[in-house]
Formats: sequence, C-alpha cells, structure tokens
Amino acid sequence: MGPGFAKWIITVAFCWLIQIASGNSVEQKIYVELNNTVPCVRLLNATHQMGCQSSISGNTGVLHMLETDSDLDIILRTGPHAPYMVLMDAGFFNSSIMLRMKNSTRIAGVAVVIPNSGPLEGFSPHNTCPNQHTGVYSDSYGPRLADCNGTIWNRLGNGLSFEDFKFPIFSLKDDNQTGVIRKCVSDHNMGVNGSTPAFPLCAMQLFSHMHAVTSTATCMRRNDIQNNYSLNPETVCDPLGDYNVWAPLRPINSTEKGHKANESVVVAATRLDGRTFFWDIATGAEGTVAGFVTLLAASQALKLTARQAPPPRNILFAFFQGEAFDYIGSSRMVYDMENNNFLIDLENVHSVLEIGQVGLRRGSELWLHTDPVSRRNDTSVNTEVEKLLKNMTSVAAALSLSLAEPNATQPLPPSSFQRFLRSRQIPGVVLADHQSAFNNRYYESVYDNAAYLNVTYPSDLTPEEQLVFVTDTAKALAEVATLVARSLYLQAGGEDSQLDNITADPNIVTQLLYGFLIQSNNSYFRSLTNPEDKSLLESQAPQYYVGVPITANTIKRSTRMVQYLLANYIGNPTSLNQSKCQDPSGMPGESKELYSYLWVRGANGSEPSPFCVRSTVRRTHAISPAFELKQYDSQTYSTWTESRWKLIRARIFLVASHELEMLTLGVGLAVLLLSLFVTYFVSTKADLIFAPAQESTGTAY
Amino acid sequence: MNLERVPNEEKLSLCRKYYLGGFAFLPFLWLVNVVWFFKEAFVKPAYDEQPQIKTYVKRSALGLLFWIAVLTTWITIFQHLRGQWGEVSDYLSFTIPLGVE
Repeated sequence: MGPGFAKWIITVAFCWLIQIASGNSVEQKIYVELNNTVPCVRLLNATHQMGCQSSISGNTGVLHMLETDSDLDIILRTGPHAPYMVLMDAGFFNSSIMLRMKNSTRIAGVAVVIPNSGPLEGFSPHNTCPNQHTGVYSDSYGPRLADCNGTIWNRLGNGLSFEDFKFPIFSLKDDNQTGVIRKCVSDHNMGVNGSTPAFPLCAMQLFSHMHAVTSTATCMRRNDIQNNYSLNPETVCDPLGDYNVWAPLRPINSTEKGHKANESVVVAATRLDGRTFFWDIATGAEGTVAGFVTLLAASQALKLTARQAPPPRNILFAFFQGEAFDYIGSSRMVYDMENNNFLIDLENVHSVLEIGQVGLRRGSELWLHTDPVSRRNDTSVNTEVEKLLKNMTSVAAALSLSLAEPNATQPLPPSSFQRFLRSRQIPGVVLADHQSAFNNRYYESVYDNAAYLNVTYPSDLTPEEQLVFVTDTAKALAEVATLVARSLYLQAGGEDSQLDNITADPNIVTQLLYGFLIQSNNSYFRSLTNPEDKSLLESQAPQYYVGVPITANTIKRSTRMVQYLLANYIGNPTSLNQSKCQDPSGMPGESKELYSYLWVRGANGSEPSPFCVRSTVRRTHAISPAFELKQYDSQTYSTWTESRWKLIRARIFLVASHELEMLTLGVGLAVLLLSLFVTYFVSTKADLIFAPAQESTGTAY
Repeated sequence: MNLERVPNEEKLSLCRKYYLGGFAFLPFLWLVNVVWFFKEAFVKPAYDEQPQIKTYVKRSALGLLFWIAVLTTWITIFQHLRGQWGEVSDYLSFTIPLGVE
C-alpha cells in the first residue's frame, strides 16, 4: 500500500471511464443514425441550380407523417410545431404536393419512403421533353418540330428533377430503419384523440449542404478563382462525365486521327446512363439497360459471321455515357470527330442505327424513327434511309417481329443520333418500342427497375440458378438483338445468305440482364472480367447515374463492365501472358495501335483459366466540350455540373419543448454565475477560511 | 512599453510616429495611438509636450472615425449586394463562402 497503489487505482478508473464514454457515448444515446438513405443533391446547368440542400448545420424539424390531406393542412398551415420534417410514402411524392411544400416556409425537409414498384398511373420526375434544347430540332432546323412541338415524348414527366428545393429531400427504403422512424413517430407524435401531441417529440435532422450555387457559369468561375488565387483552393462543383465505350468491328489504326480514306462506317449506338430524382440511384432498366444489353448481344451475335464473311463496310459499336444530361457522350464524340481528334471523322460515317428503349414492346411491334427534315431536304439521305428501312423490314420478316414507321412528319425521339445530325446530314434510324410517347411509365425514375422490365425469377432459385434462368424479357430482347445484328450486317454491305448464321443467344441476354439489373457479382461477369479489378463487381444492381469522376482516373463501374463484355464478345483470346498482355509491343501479330488488350479471368467450370483478350474496344472521355472550350453558359453543349458537399447525414432523436430547453439553459447559466460568485467569495476570504488548515500542516512538519 | 517610465520627449516622438504611420492606410495605428495616449493627452496634469500630443491624438481619432465610416459603409454594401453583382463580387472576394450566392 502506498502512492504506487493509488496511482494504479486511478489509472484503472480512468480507463474504465474512457471505455464507458466511447462505448456508450452521449451522442449514441441521443441520436439514431439512418444509414440507408439517399439524398437529392444540387445539380447545375448553364442557367439554373436544381435539386435540394439543407442549411450548413443541417435542417431539423418535428416529424409529421403525411397520410391524408388533413395532414397536409396541419403541415402547411395549422400545426404548432413548424417547421416540419415530412415523412411520406411515395404516393404523395408528386408535383402538386411538392410544389406546395416548396413554396412554404413551414417545411424543414422531406423523407420519402420508396417502395420497390411504382404507382400504376406512372411517375417520371424528368420533364416532358427530355434534352429539349440540345437536340437537333431548333429554330434553324425543323422549327415546327422544336421543343417537342411534334410529339410530347415523356407525357408523365412532372419536372421535379428540375426544381430547386430550399430544403433537403432524402429517400428511404422500406425496411427496418423506416420501421424505427415510424415507431418513433407513432409513439411520440400522435396526440391522443387528435389533440396536439405533447413533448418530447420525435424529430429528424438532415444534412445535405451544397457548396455550389446559381449556375455552372458561377461555380466553374469560383473553381477557377479558387485555384488561381486561393492558398487553400476548394472546388465547389465538378462537370458530369465519364467515358464512352466504343469498338470498330475491324481494327482502325489509332495513331492517326481524323479522316480515313476508304473507310465507311455504320455506327451502332446506344446510351449507358440514366438518372432519377435522387443522387446516384438510377437502375434505368427500360431507359438504359434494355438498349445496351441488346447492342452487346448483337455484337456477340455478329462476331463469328463478321470474321468468316466480313462485310465491306466497318461497324462501330458506340456506348455513350451521360446522354441523360444533354447528350454529354455523343456530343463529345461528334466534337472529337469534327476536330480530327477521333479515329474517323463524320464523313466516314455511312449511317447510324441507334437502339433506344426496346424492352417494353406492345405485342411484336417495334418502331423505326427517322428524321423528317433531313429526309425532306436531301434526296440522297432519303434514299439511304429508305434502303436501311427496307433492310430492317426484310430482316424482321424472317423473325417474329413487325416493324412500323411512325407518321412521316414525326421528329426523332431524344437520341444520340440527333447530335450527329446537328453536324452533318447522316442517314439513320432509331429503333424503339414506342410509336410516339414513351411506353416507359417510369422514365428516369427509381421505379424503372428489374421488376418493371419483368426480369423476375421463381422464388426458389439460388442466385446462380437465377443467372441462367431465361426470362421472357431476355427472349424478347434476344430477338431485338438478332434484328439489330442482322440489320447492321446488311447495312454494312453483307450478303443476305449469311443472315441465318447471325442469331443472338437468349442465354447470354438473360445473364446480361441479371448482371446489369440484379447483381453484377455473378459467375458469368466474373469469368469475363479481370479478377484483380476488385471494385468492379458488386452484389447489388449497378447504378447508371453518370456522376462525376472521384479522382482523375476513376471510371464508372458500369462503363468498365461494358468495356470488358464488349471486348469478350468481339475480341479474340490470345496466348499472351499477364505481363505481355499489358504491353504486347514487339510480339508478332500484336499491335497497341490497332488493338487493346484486357486480362480476364475466364472460366473452366468454376476454376479460373485466365487469358488475354485482344479486341478493338476503347474508351474515350465523355466530358462535355463546353468544359474543354470553357463555355460554361453554352447553348450548344451540355453544361451539367454536380455540386460538392461535405456531409450527407440523416438521424432522428427526441426534442424537448422550447420552454424546457430555455429552462435548462437558464439553470445552467445560473449555476455558472453562482459558482463564479462563490469562487470569488472564497478567494477574497481565503485568509479567514484556510488559515487554521495552514497552521495544522505547518505543525505536521 | 510602460509609458510611465518614458521621458516626455520620447512620448511625443512615439505619438507622432504612430500618427504619421496611420497615413500609410494603417488605421489600426491610429486606434492604438488613441487608446494608448488618451490618458497622456487628456488626463495627466499638464506638461510641455502635452498640447502637441493632444493634437496628434485628436487627429488620429478623426482619421480613425473616417476609416470606420468608410469601411462600415463598404462592408454593408458589399455584403448586401454581393449576390447580385455575380462575377464582380467573386473577383473581389478573397474567400468565397460555400453555398452562398
């Protein structure tokens, strides 16, 4: 026993206290963090900011469940606890209610519980005329068709994605966590028999403070100023963009850019991205995936015949990224072609066949959309278009598909092909499942998912069994892919007699749909990708919002996946080993100028048998030319940027009444003042109070 | 420095230095001058250098007031209108606040 023992006791006690504090902190006792949320964030274009944001210290409000119209009245007019945090089911998430809330000062924020399937009547937060100002139709080109005058493509569009909300909006999945919130609300915020509920009340706090404001012009200017003058530069927004994936069927030398003599190319195009109201969730089953899966399957179907009986013209498979945001990818490729910065230029483009939304056919019908203006103005274009239409119709006759053309005066639907037409009168067709307005009732919304495309499986299947289960959707899309592949072959000048050899495989289509709509981490995708690329595959549906590159070298997962698949489908395995695969220069027959090389896992049963794929697949930047040209208020090119933020967070907790909070503060202050006074008193009278004690210690020594 | 221990001539020279220094767009020197020499100029019993110190302190105070008026007006105008000025105000700002127009 001695001072050592006392020290030991103190240390133990201290450690114990720290353990208590960290394992069971005050914060954890007060707040319940909500982890499974997705915010709506701020996006900006040349002229506007849109999306949502909270204040810098988060928005807090008492939760109120929006279930009936009278709830809306309480929230917006009569309730005593404004501002409110509104918890609503997706059914209330429509433009009339959201716009009323937008104009109210009594809203602190909104949390929407999103179910798996959408409302029957349809829901699309996009506008009615997608990419209205950056398509081909304008005052100088088919003025009567501009601004969707000819056809309203997205009738159900309510434009919510283009509104600027001054409060945060988060989406919640219908899961346990939502149950916790609902329980908190029903336990604390429901008054007995409709009376005003008593404190403490259940409240929610949402953080989504956005750094960029006003417009892309403003935020890019601030980026520049910060980078040039500030000691501590802080970027406030980033241009949306990623990479286009493309591959010519026959290799074209990549060292020389610009016009290629004797090269005539049929472009087979589709888009790789979609969007929704919320950030970084966009499953885009019909809007995006159906199209590019069809083109991937078509490329696979073409490969063998194209090698045995190569058609005279080349075919360029092009997957454009960022098309949902004013055609980022296609406008960039056309811009590169115009500036001799691409393998070929626009003169080399013979024609374009684009795959639009093809997953929701009514019966057996598919529609061939063409551009009435170029067909009217230019007879040679018209002849080529008619030839293409005739080719496709004859191909379809052999399949169980029926093709039809919409009204001859109807403009093209929103499509990448429009960006080609802006620069040059090129013959082309957009293949889609809709005659005029989209069949897609959930265009660019969270409900455009696997279930909507009918990619569903019997419940008793394991994931690997689901992977190979051929759904009806897969069969239907395989037919479309066959049509596309055969049409491309004919369009490239191939022989009719070869057509029967070109057939897309439903087994491949179904695996593609599974990988791109259910989960990409499956044995099929694993066998076609590089096993060292750990971050590539995920055990959920990939998202197709184009987003911003996190670092300069980041590439979206879906982009890389499409690149791997396309390389496997149109490329050939080689005998190169892994290190030679990265740099095959000097090997006989190999050339980095003509080909790109990818190392893939392969599959021999369940065992890997890795090999090197040689293909013509490449990636180029899909960043809008507006950012190259520094024209941040461009009317021609996409100017979309995404704001940066520091913190996205959602949590619930119980709040006390304002009176109680003030009382607590008041008592605290009183105690502080009292203790100050006592200390002062004691220190002035110290001589009197402590004198005897000093004497006693004095005697001890 | 404790002014109590400084001879009067040195006080005057110090006060003049601060006063003249303020003209180099350094209103804080005037502020220091006013605060530091206030007692010397107006409270202490009279001595030879006091009238001159008094003038310097008064003039410093005047200049300080002028600066306060100008700065207050400018800051008020700038903070109110920076959102409307757009580009100009961004170039005038050293630190651009995040998420504010």
